[in-house]
Amino acid sequence: MNAASFRSPWFWMTLAALGLLALFVLYPLVNILSASLFGEGPSGWSRLVSTPKYIEAILNTLILASAVTVICTIIGVPLAYVTARYSFRGKALIALLPLITLVIPEVIAAQTWLMMLGNNGLITKAMREIGIRLPSFYGWFGLITSMSFIYYTYVYIGTVAAIGKFDVQLEEAAQSLGTPPALARIKVMLPVILPAILASALLVFTMTVGNFAISMILSHRLPLLSVVTYQAAVAEGTSSITMQSTLASVSVLIVMAVLFVNRWIVSRGRYEIVQGRGARPVPLKGLRGALVAGSAGLVVAISLLPLLTITLGAFTTARGPVMQWGEWTLDNLARVFVTAPEPLVNSLTYAGIATFISIAFSAIVSYLVVKKPNLVTPAVDYISAIPLALSGTVLGVGLLAAFNGGWLPLTGTPIIIVLAYVIRRMPFGMRNGQAVLHNIPNSIEEASISLGVAPVRSFLRVVLPVMLPAVASAAILTWTTTVSELSASILVYSGGRETLPIQIFRLIDSGLMAYASAYGLVLVAVILIPVVLANRLFGIDVFSSK
Amino acid sequence: MKFHSIGAAALALGLSIVPALAKEPVLYTSNPVPAVEAVQAVAKEKVGASLGVITGGSGVLLRRIEAEAAAPQGDVFWSSSANTLGAYEKFFEPYNSPELSAVPASLRYPNNLFQPSNVHLVTMLVNTDLLDGVEAPDSWADLADPAWKGKVIVADPANSSTGYTIAWGLAQLLDKKTYEALVANMVVAGSSSSVPKGVSMGEYSVGLTFETNSYAYVDGGQKELKLVYPSEGTFMTADYAGLVKNAPAGDAARKTIDALLSKEAQIELLKVAFRRPSRSDIKIADYVGLPELAEVKVAPFDEAAAAKAREAFLAEWAALPKAGDTE
Repeated sequence: MNAASFRSPWFWMTLAALGLLALFVLYPLVNILSASLFGEGPSGWSRLVSTPKYIEAILNTLILASAVTVICTIIGVPLAYVTARYSFRGKALIALLPLITLVIPEVIAAQTWLMMLGNNGLITKAMREIGIRLPSFYGWFGLITSMSFIYYTYVYIGTVAAIGKFDVQLEEAAQSLGTPPALARIKVMLPVILPAILASALLVFTMTVGNFAISMILSHRLPLLSVVTYQAAVAEGTSSITMQSTLASVSVLIVMAVLFVNRWIVSRGRYEIVQGRGARPVPLKGLRGALVAGSAGLVVAISLLPLLTITLGAFTTARGPVMQWGEWTLDNLARVFVTAPEPLVNSLTYAGIATFISIAFSAIVSYLVVKKPNLVTPAVDYISAIPLALSGTVLGVGLLAAFNGGWLPLTGTPIIIVLAYVIRRMPFGMRNGQAVLHNIPNSIEEASISLGVAPVRSFLRVVLPVMLPAVASAAILTWTTTVSELSASILVYSGGRETLPIQIFRLIDSGLMAYASAYGLVLVAVILIPVVLANRLFGIDVFSSK
Repeated sequence: MKFHSIGAAALALGLSIVPALAKEPVLYTSNPVPAVEAVQAVAKEKVGASLGVITGGSGVLLRRIEAEAAAPQGDVFWSSSANTLGAYEKFFEPYNSPELSAVPASLRYPNNLFQPSNVHLVTMLVNTDLLDGVEAPDSWADLADPAWKGKVIVADPANSSTGYTIAWGLAQLLDKKTYEALVANMVVAGSSSSVPKGVSMGEYSVGLTFETNSYAYVDGGQKELKLVYPSEGTFMTADYAGLVKNAPAGDAARKTIDALLSKEAQIELLKVAFRRPSRSDIKIADYVGLPELAEVKVAPFDEAAAAKAREAFLAEWAALPKAGDTE
């Protein structure tokens, strides 16, 4: 490294980014790990080992995550395959799938499942009529079912993209060499799309480990890691954080192990498609067409059920906790906008600020990482990816541990909520930004500089405009995931700073389903409006890059 | 509607940025929205200023009061049980509200450090649709019959003060054999709110919970639900409000306590949230379909002993077999 690089503004900006990341990502993480070892009272790890409930929670979480991952793959991969390779009636509906996971608050999905399959659910009752007793929905049955029907979309999205890129000529070649069509597909296509399937399956695994909302509602007596971590955090408060930190550390270790496996799989070799010609969808007709359309449609319909529930619930009269189905009202929505608009205002304010900060930060830092690498760049790149491995609950515990009192007291302020949002969602923007920048040739910027425009100005005037469409799409994606964030913000928020997801969670907990539905419907609107506007006005397809 | 809402949102945004100019009392409350709204109007009239309301779990709010002790931001805390408040005594100051004269002496907190704002009674919430021809239970002993195995839901005493009150009370009231047989029939829920929800959704036949939670479903029009006050006696516990030490609103803070204890506020609270008044001069039957306190057999309940024995009791409780375990 020469002296000139110290004089470049880029070096100092990279250093500043590293400082921010160290303070807001590394420091909370270090705080968790150190509190688990040296926190107040007996060591967290010895308490962990000697408490059967915690050990059980860890094992249950691993079993649950494995089961959900397997089922998501079983649903997601065939669905992706039929949508990518065939055309049939109602296929357009399946394009809605990626939206569902982002749009429907998990708490509401869990509540809807209870209305269907709870002890008194519609399906449970119908089955009981014909003499079949379903197992209790609380516990394994409910957790696995509801999480699978939310997370399979991640497998679907990942696989659909991979199949789309697969070169159909390979398959034709295999067939012309005498391999039967079905076998040709398995032998030739599977190795190529397998890394994508595995990567999305591991994503499902980590998301299940970190899942908070559904676990809280459906686990009942079954201890799960995220639930016991949250309970420990609530019981310990912020004065003594040993146990919550230890449990959070366990979750970090699990996710690190998963990421390690992921790396190992990826490093074991990859089939690159140099120049692909995607397959034309084959139209399916008759019985086969009806069967495929029917089963795909069923999956979509089941996933969309919660949306129907909240739409009906939002306009239904309730007397206390009791829904008066069939009686319609606008009172619930009046509460959201007029009587108690604080959660809406808070959500819009905090998520708006957080989206702005995280997009600005990730645009600048991806530029630094890709175009101006220097000695500290690898550290910036690595640390900025860490939040991907932290569940919301872990991040919440970490922020409370790091910024409660001390030299930077942030607990009890709105800043800590915004901070939690930014840290959780910034890595998405970073990945997006880096991918875009790799495709922008250095020459255009160099041309600008050689014509006498200063480096920072060149970035603003030449590189930024090229990045802009991708940045806009990343901003919308960040917005949708930020405004629905629950698991970190529910730990760090303070009285009067409830956001929409927190308010929905609390209302469902107190049984006020009508109000919860109204807030839920508004949350869905708040998420969808920017997506639809971007699509209609600017032709940005937010989900194309994912 | 749309523009109105945007206006309201903008207004609320403005309010949240500009700190309140007037010295209005700030209420820290763990009570649900309908209960807060019920007393807000009364308080406005009695205090002459509108209340600032901060909501949150009682543990969270009490810790906040502790953290703000050097420069209090809140004036009045409302409400929690004596055994929760006990640990935070030093952050509150006694106040002998004139309204306390209508509250029975048995409910008063020593020194008037906290003011009883309402009382809770434990009830059985029974879903008569699920009885399958079996008589509805009338006593705790009825529920100890193996026929009720897996049909009775209660909140986890380790996580819920409602659950703790019930479990501790039953352990004192019943003989060991009946108590253990009853516990063996119970399914333990993670939170107290899932108890009435579970019964109203028809998932469990009987839920053990406070009257205020269970009656909301009866009042909502679910005719198949009914409340049972067990014949051996049920348990009563009071909710307290407290005046934060060095409350910034000064006299207005005291007036807020007066308002919370006032007959008007307690009637509103009874009507909207089904909270049984702490005052003895309100006739329940005039407002809701709940029995008068005098008609209900109440078993003795020692809050201090319950708080003291907590750890040991929870350990014993955890070791007892329950219905949820075998499934």
